[in-house]
Amino acid sequence: MKRLLPILVLLSVALAGCCDPIPPSAPTATPAPFPSSDFTPTPTRIVYGLTLKPSGIDPHINASSELGIPLTSVYDTLVYLDPERGDFVPGLAEDWDISEDGLSYTFYLREGVTFHDDTPFNAEAVRFNLERITSSDLASQKARFMLGPYERTEVLDEYTVRIHLSEPFAPLLDSLSQVYVGMASPTAVEKWGSEYQHHQVGTGPFIFAEYVPDDHLLLRRNPDYAWGPSIYQHETALADEIEFRFFVESATRSPTLEAGEVDVMGEIPPQDAARLMESEDFYIEAVPIPGVSLMFFLNTTRPPLDDVQVRQALLCGTDRQAIVSTIFRDTSPVAYGPLAANTFGYEPAVQDYYTYNPTQAADLLDGAGWIDTDDDGIRDKDGEPLVLDMVLMDWGYMREIGQLVAAQWSNLGIGINSQLVSYPEALEIASEGRHHLIPFNLSGSDPDILRKFFHSQASFNWSKLDDAEMDAWLEAAARTTDREEREALYSQIQLRIMNQGFVIPIRDYVNLNGVSKRVQGLRFDAQGWFPWLIDVTASEIQ
Amino acid sequence: MIARYVGRRLLQSAFVLWLAVTLAFLAMQLTPGDPAQALLAASGATEKEIAERRAQLGLDAPLPLQYGRYLWSLAQADLGQSWLHGRPVGQMILEQLPATAELAVSATLVGSALGVGLGVLAALRRFTWLDTAATTVAVIGLSTPTYWSGLLAILLFSLHLGWLPPTGEGDLRHLVLPSLVLGFALSGSIARLVRARIAQVMEEPFVQAARARGIPSWRVILAHVLRPALPIVLTVIALQFGFLLGGAVITESVFARRGLGKLAVEAILWRDLPVIRGVVVFGALAYVLVNLAADLAQAWLTPRLREELA
Repeated sequence: MKRLLPILVLLSVALAGCCDPIPPSAPTATPAPFPSSDFTPTPTRIVYGLTLKPSGIDPHINASSELGIPLTSVYDTLVYLDPERGDFVPGLAEDWDISEDGLSYTFYLREGVTFHDDTPFNAEAVRFNLERITSSDLASQKARFMLGPYERTEVLDEYTVRIHLSEPFAPLLDSLSQVYVGMASPTAVEKWGSEYQHHQVGTGPFIFAEYVPDDHLLLRRNPDYAWGPSIYQHETALADEIEFRFFVESATRSPTLEAGEVDVMGEIPPQDAARLMESEDFYIEAVPIPGVSLMFFLNTTRPPLDDVQVRQALLCGTDRQAIVSTIFRDTSPVAYGPLAANTFGYEPAVQDYYTYNPTQAADLLDGAGWIDTDDDGIRDKDGEPLVLDMVLMDWGYMREIGQLVAAQWSNLGIGINSQLVSYPEALEIASEGRHHLIPFNLSGSDPDILRKFFHSQASFNWSKLDDAEMDAWLEAAARTTDREEREALYSQIQLRIMNQGFVIPIRDYVNLNGVSKRVQGLRFDAQGWFPWLIDVTASEIQ
Repeated sequence: MIARYVGRRLLQSAFVLWLAVTLAFLAMQLTPGDPAQALLAASGATEKEIAERRAQLGLDAPLPLQYGRYLWSLAQADLGQSWLHGRPVGQMILEQLPATAELAVSATLVGSALGVGLGVLAALRRFTWLDTAATTVAVIGLSTPTYWSGLLAILLFSLHLGWLPPTGEGDLRHLVLPSLVLGFALSGSIARLVRARIAQVMEEPFVQAARARGIPSWRVILAHVLRPALPIVLTVIALQFGFLLGGAVITESVFARRGLGKLAVEAILWRDLPVIRGVVVFGALAYVLVNLAADLAQAWLTPRLREELA
């Protein structure tokens, strides 16, 4: 690889030079305006490395985070979530009202917006998109459910549209701010049918130019773009072309970046990130991801974890800092509660719970009657050894974390039976309650995400809770749009979860992007995954 | 006569196809995990919505009905839509096919050249050290799993020597390691077959006669023995080529190549039944067709069979 380096650098210089793209509707390659910058305005091409090969990339249908990385710049959304101020700002909707009862949302749309295929954007287009997402024929895997109790969309006039819900749903604006509910050209959707995902058309700062599955995806600058939200720094995109390429093998990502084959690379493994941070030519853009932290769910219905003392012992006996240092090289923060620290509604008081204390853990286990009577190194009670079934999936460092936790617990006289399974199998095991512990994490900017894990009817109710009060709190927090009321409810919920030891939080997710120093302006949205490519540019290679 | 032969072979092929698609259907029934739940669990869909999706995918129907629908759509050459991608399965297979075909062709070429070479070498110098060496190499090829030889090859040629890229695809350089590794694995059985076949033909009276005339043994083998020994070798090569067209799952994974194997692995992980079935049907079809072609070629290459058929 080392020997290839100079050749690859030369090649990419040559490529950058010979493939000056000319925007389709501009007679000359007019450079973007640079309001306050000192770069030379030459056509810019940026190569962006993605990790997963996306499993289908129609944001209305598919669910991967990966698809949003390019497509957030192809589509605009009605509103945007400002990650710094934590509130919503206008996008394709200039303004909106929410009815008193929380059942209807009226959006006043921006005029003069056109899709990349010249279809005008208007109220009818909004209705078309929401109807498409919610039609059962589309079989949406994510967007449909982000709209919750959506009922219908009413076109009030050319630029006014009203969404009706069957019950109040606080996360609606958060959902509408995400690419999964981005506005697609009705003309293009109807024209391409089931092949639309290869011919996507939005109103965003970049045009979806070319997609070869598993190979590359090319975005080209939209020269007509002039309706971006206030959180974008430029009116039109700075870069002329952005090419996405896919690098599934984590070990190849950093070398590919260092060889100059890509300018930005997502999901750099922690050990490589630690090294790149020292580098002169690259930097690490570390983006904390809001949502549910990586944590072990403890099956509270299966002995011995039905005993809160045993659960608390496990929490005290887990050295999270050691896990974060060993596996994540301190690139991500220790998690103390079910929500990542940068999620709206996060309760900082969770940090006071369960500091690492093996002596206390041992005392708790003794108190619960688990003592090693036969001297085999494993505690036992009534002839039953203290051995727990740990179910692991082979991604997100869960396997490594499981091994480390098992090693820490073996010092406490706890045995672990671990099993490596696929995701569908883990879902089946967990729904049947055949596990003691399963680790999982999920990203999302609205704290309503807790409802997917701690409501008695939830898909991921892996702690096997059946707590009517908790259900009521979660439902109330999903219905009220009053921010303070929501915060208070989520605080109660988080404290209950930690008091009762339903989970063992391990770490907050951090998205580690390796970036060449020739790239400037890379910032990410409130989800933490999706870059605002409009502001990204690159200087010539030195 | 030839028409009847082809007709009979086609009938047999149809049976093999039916068997493959039925096994694929049954195998997925036995695999744990519910596809609708896997697709929707993270979305926040309610139990009811997941049950609706299950019904929409036809998964709530009784098994015989699901099986009947499945055969019926196959009979109409409709592979359906991927549940995960939401795209036509046929289209997705066509997209992955070039990468798989490229590897299948190059690995078969490497495997045939290496296999025939080793086999002839071993046969020429039977019961000498050269024979032992060639046979040993063949046995190693036959018995080394590609996930192991693949990693060794990456270690040696990419990381240690730095000659070739370890993973990915693109130019010919990316094709070298996977072709060598997979070709080496194929060469084992070909070499053994060639050696045995040559040994057999060597016993034939016409070979004895040629040798009695004092023709050197390398010329006897190349000019007189190889030709009658080849048809059966060709069949074996075709069998393996047909098999590879269905996707070299492990080799594709080790070298991070795209292809039908990778597609199948992803589909299995997500219980994306239409894609799994699509790949199986396609693989079985490729296998059956290549075999049919090989049999016809063999018939044509073998004068005795050619006369019988004519």
